[in-house]
Amino acid sequence: MVLRFPAYRIEEPITYNLIRDYNIIVNILNADISHGKEGSLLVEMKGEKQDMDMALTYLEKHEIQINPVRKTILFNESPCVHCGSCTAVCFTGALEMSRKERSLIFKPEKCIACELCIKACPLGLFELNFGIH
Amino acid sequence: MCPQGPIIRLSMKDYQEINEKIRSGKAVVLTAEEVSAMAGTKSPRQVAEEVDVVTTGTFGPMCSSGMFLNVGHTDPPIRMEDITLNGVPVHAGVAAVDMYIGATANHPSNPSYGGAHIIEELIAGKDIELVAKGKGTDCYPLHEVRTHINKNTVNEMIMFNPRNAYQNYPVAVNTTGRTNYTYMGTLLPRLGNATFSTSGELSPLLNDPELRTIGVGTRIFLGGTTGYVSWNGTQFKTDVPRTDEMVPKVNAATIAVIGDARNMSPDFIRAAYFEKYGVSIFIGIGIPIPVLDEEMAARLMIRNEQIITRIVDYGSVNKPVLGEVNYRDLFSGEIEIEGKKVRTASMSSLLKAREIAQILKDQISAGSFTLTEPVQAFPSNTSLHSLQIR
Repeated sequence: MVLRFPAYRIEEPITYNLIRDYNIIVNILNADISHGKEGSLLVEMKGEKQDMDMALTYLEKHEIQINPVRKTILFNESPCVHCGSCTAVCFTGALEMSRKERSLIFKPEKCIACELCIKACPLGLFELNFGIH
Repeated sequence: MCPQGPIIRLSMKDYQEINEKIRSGKAVVLTAEEVSAMAGTKSPRQVAEEVDVVTTGTFGPMCSSGMFLNVGHTDPPIRMEDITLNGVPVHAGVAAVDMYIGATANHPSNPSYGGAHIIEELIAGKDIELVAKGKGTDCYPLHEVRTHINKNTVNEMIMFNPRNAYQNYPVAVNTTGRTNYTYMGTLLPRLGNATFSTSGELSPLLNDPELRTIGVGTRIFLGGTTGYVSWNGTQFKTDVPRTDEMVPKVNAATIAVIGDARNMSPDFIRAAYFEKYGVSIFIGIGIPIPVLDEEMAARLMIRNEQIITRIVDYGSVNKPVLGEVNYRDLFSGEIEIEGKKVRTASMSSLLKAREIAQILKDQISAGSFTLTEPVQAFPSNTSLHSLQIR
C-alpha cells in the first residue's frame, strides 16, 4: 500500500511507531519524503489482524492516507519484434502469439503480474508498475 | 554421404535467364511460405515451370555477429591498443584504428549492455564515446584519446558475422528442478516450457538443404540492406542425419555474412539481452533462391511438418536428447514430451522473417535485386571438432 503523509506529519516517526506499538512487519519498497512537502511511502505491511486494525486506526487518526496498490505490468509495445520469448513464461494467457500473423498480443486483464516476462523479454520491454487505486 | 534426393535434376533455368527476367520485370517471385502452400495443389515440375525465384527470411538472435570499424586517425596519431565504446571493450589488435565490436561483448559493470547495443546505436546514428589507449611509438606518439564517434564521423562500419542463419537448431527444454537462464530464453523447471528458434519453412538454409544455390558470393538481404555471403559460417557441418527431403534434423550448415552497416536499419538489427546469459543480437537475413529445376522446386516446397528437430535438455550435463518434433507442432504452441504437454515459444520472429522475405520479393519483382551464382560452393563433407583439454 502507499501511505501519503501531509507535509506537517513528515517529522513523525510513523514507521517506527507501527513496528514498536503495533508489532507490524514493515517492508519499505519506495519512499519519497522531504521536509516541507507531502510524502509517500510504498510499503508492504504484515501482522496479526488485531494489530493491523489498530495500526490502520492509528494511521487514520494521524491523517495519513492509505491507498491500496496493485502491481501491474507495463508493456512498451512499439519496439517489440514479436519473437515470442515472453510467451514461454506466461501461463495466464496474458501474452500470446496470434496464430496467423505471429504477432504478440498482450491482454492486461489476464495478467497477474508474476513478473516472469520482465526477465524473459530480450529487449527489456516489460516493467513493473505500482498502480495506485 | 551422397546428398541425392528422389527427384532427378533436369536443368530448366540458369541464373542468366532468371536475371534477364528480373531485369525486364517478368520474373515470377514468391516467398517460401507461398511456395510451401502450393505443395497440396501443384507438382514440383509445375512450380519449377511457373516460378523463377523464391525468397526466404529469418530474424533471430545470432550471437556470432559483430562489426569492423575504422574510426580514422587523430593528429598526432595513436596506435589504439586498448579500446572501449561507451565502456564496452572492443577488439583491438588489427592495426592502429581498426577495431571489431563483438556483439556479445559485455559492459563490465552493466551485464545487460554490450557490443550489440553499440552496433544498434551506431546504425541508428547515435553518438558513442570512444576511449582508446596506446603505449606510444615513434610513429604513433599519442597515449590516449577520449572522444565521440557516430556513423558520419567514422570511415567504415562493416558488419561481418562469422556464424549466422543456422540450418536448423534444437528445441531447448529443462528437466531439472530449477529455472535455467539460457541463450534459448528462460527455461522453466520440470519441462515447464520448450523454446525454439527458426522461421521454419521460410528459413533460408532449410529451403536449400544441400546448398546448391547458396555459397561464397551469394547476394542477400542483411540487416535492411544488401549484403553478401562471404564464406561458410563457423561450426559448419554437413555430416548430419537428414530427412528424405535432405533437410538436416540437427544444426548443420551456417553462413558468414558481410555488409555495409552504415546502410542497415535498427528495424532489422536489434540488440538483445538474455537474463543471466548476456548480450546477443537479432539479425535479419533474407536469401533469394532461384528455382533452377524440379528438384530445387521440391526442396522449396517443404512444409513445417516435414522439418524435424531434436528436443534437447539444456538443464542437464551433456544435454541429452529427449526426442524429435516437427515445426508445425512447435508453432502450434504445445508439444508432448515424455507424456507431458509442454508449452512452446519461439525465440526468433516469424513476423519479421515474413517482412524480410516480402521486401526481398518486392525488390526482385521491381528489378532492383538480381541473383548471383556462388563463386565457390561450400564444403560438402565436413564435421566438427570439439576442443580437447590437454
